[in-house]
Amino acid sequence: MATDSLNFAVSCTAKPTGARTLQKERQLGEFLAEVERRALRIAEIAVRDRDEALDLVQDAMIKLARNYSGRGIEEWPPLFYRILQNGVRDWHRRQAVRNRVMVWFQKSKSADDDLDVIAAAPDPIGRSPDEELQNSEAMRDLELAVHDLPTRQREAFMLRTFECLDVAGTAVAMGCSQGSVKTHYSRAVHTLREKLGEHWQ
Amino acid sequence: MKNTGEKLAQAAKKEFDQSVDGLDAATLSRLNRGRQAALAETRQPVRQWLRWMPATGVAAAVLLALVVQQGPGDVGVIAAPAADLEILLGEESIEMLEDLEFYSWLDTEELAGDGDLG
Repeated sequence: MATDSLNFAVSCTAKPTGARTLQKERQLGEFLAEVERRALRIAEIAVRDRDEALDLVQDAMIKLARNYSGRGIEEWPPLFYRILQNGVRDWHRRQAVRNRVMVWFQKSKSADDDLDVIAAAPDPIGRSPDEELQNSEAMRDLELAVHDLPTRQREAFMLRTFECLDVAGTAVAMGCSQGSVKTHYSRAVHTLREKLGEHWQ
Repeated sequence: MKNTGEKLAQAAKKEFDQSVDGLDAATLSRLNRGRQAALAETRQPVRQWLRWMPATGVAAAVLLALVVQQGPGDVGVIAAPAADLEILLGEESIEMLEDLEFYSWLDTEELAGDGDLG
């Protein structure tokens, strides 16, 4: 009788593998839902193209799920951003190669290509046109300044400031030492202060 | 008294968060679809042969490097410019190896271009 009770207790407390998988999937879904919008904007600032940024973020999400979903939850943020940063660097390399090809096949850009449908859409959070203009101008200045930073400085600044990763997490995401993260971040802030001027200080 | 670097970071974070909040519905929908596709990956059984894909890719890249170093006169292959090879064999080369066909085509195009110039 006592043994039966013990077995019952064990069977009730030990989660079956299927339940653990479902729990992990739910946790991963919550993590991705929480991080995906910021990741998109970070990738977009780096590549200056929303469609490309969406593809990069989706690739990063799939690779994280495929290769690291079994890791601890606390490891996901730096791993996810490491995958994303690698994707961004690869994208820049591919662009460099493709740009050389395009020298041979230069095409004139049509006027339609310059129309930014997303930028033309109404503001979804209901800011007034003046507020929207002021914010969008400030963000545009910031985006350009951050985009123009050297790659490692840009990565350090965006991960530390926008994603609020700590120095250790940023070091994992960038694949470098914590000392390097501090150096890159400090230089990035210094450069941005000079570029953005008094409005930002 | 906060230093100017910290103030700049706070102001930048504020602007950034506003831009995140302002993402349109179409973009959010695409993010959601991407997330669902990622979550579907966790339900897929692991295909063992796929684990060997990166190693196979690296081996192919090393072989390509050796062939190219032999020179075009020896084996009659197209010589890739050194810069392209460096890109292919960079630290994140695994990703690039998925596009070997593209780079092969690129080399062909560049040689054709050189011919036109010459």
